[in-house]
Amino acid sequence: MENRTPVAPADAQLLLDRADQLSRSAHNATRWPYITFILSLGVATSMGTLAMGLTTGNAFGLAYFGTLAAAFALIMFFMISIRGRSAFSRGRRWTGYIAAWFVTYAAAISVVIWAHGSVLWSGVTSALILLVTMACAAREARP
Amino acid sequence: MTAVEQHPRHRLDELLQNPVRFSIVAALDRASTLSFKEVRDAVEITDSALSKQVSLLEGAGYLAVGKSFAGKMPRTSLTLTKQGRTAWNAHLATLREIAGLE
Repeated sequence: MENRTPVAPADAQLLLDRADQLSRSAHNATRWPYITFILSLGVATSMGTLAMGLTTGNAFGLAYFGTLAAAFALIMFFMISIRGRSAFSRGRRWTGYIAAWFVTYAAAISVVIWAHGSVLWSGVTSALILLVTMACAAREARP
Repeated sequence: MTAVEQHPRHRLDELLQNPVRFSIVAALDRASTLSFKEVRDAVEITDSALSKQVSLLEGAGYLAVGKSFAGKMPRTSLTLTKQGRTAWNAHLATLREIAGLE
């Protein structure tokens, strides 16, 4: 206790400013590829599942392969852009974002399989994908 | 016995009073998980100095150190634990109190 260095109010303020600046710069150097990816994944899968849920025949096939191709391109771009910055993807928060997206995507795919053609359910589940991924991206993008 | 009110500085976390350890935890505050390299670049210190301070923070339960491989290259990730976040928030609250912000 006696060895503690006295901290003056001005020193405390400097330390708080330093902590805020460090925290922001470290997060900024990492977060943007993740924000872009989760948002793009949400838009692509939301539109894709909506199209798959409401179309048949060749149009369904186009929507199906189009969604797959978009998702593949996004994943490839994401993997390249986070090279050397992939630690965040092993964090609990990112796992939570992906789990949230997956749950809504699974619900939308279930509608495609079991309630094909239902405008209401296709609309609700696809909107849910968009909402959840936008919320995750917004949380990560907040200042 | 009467309770004597102590100066808030006595409540500062001893481990976080070291400037390097303070900076490491600050760098992890928003991101929660970063690679060893990212923290090293943010704090601007050598690998060995960072490694030494990370061991101390890990020993105190403030950081979790993860090891993985990308091909044959080892990758180390640093995560601020719940205990570390609690200590960090308390440390910042005390600093705010000293600075007269609370």
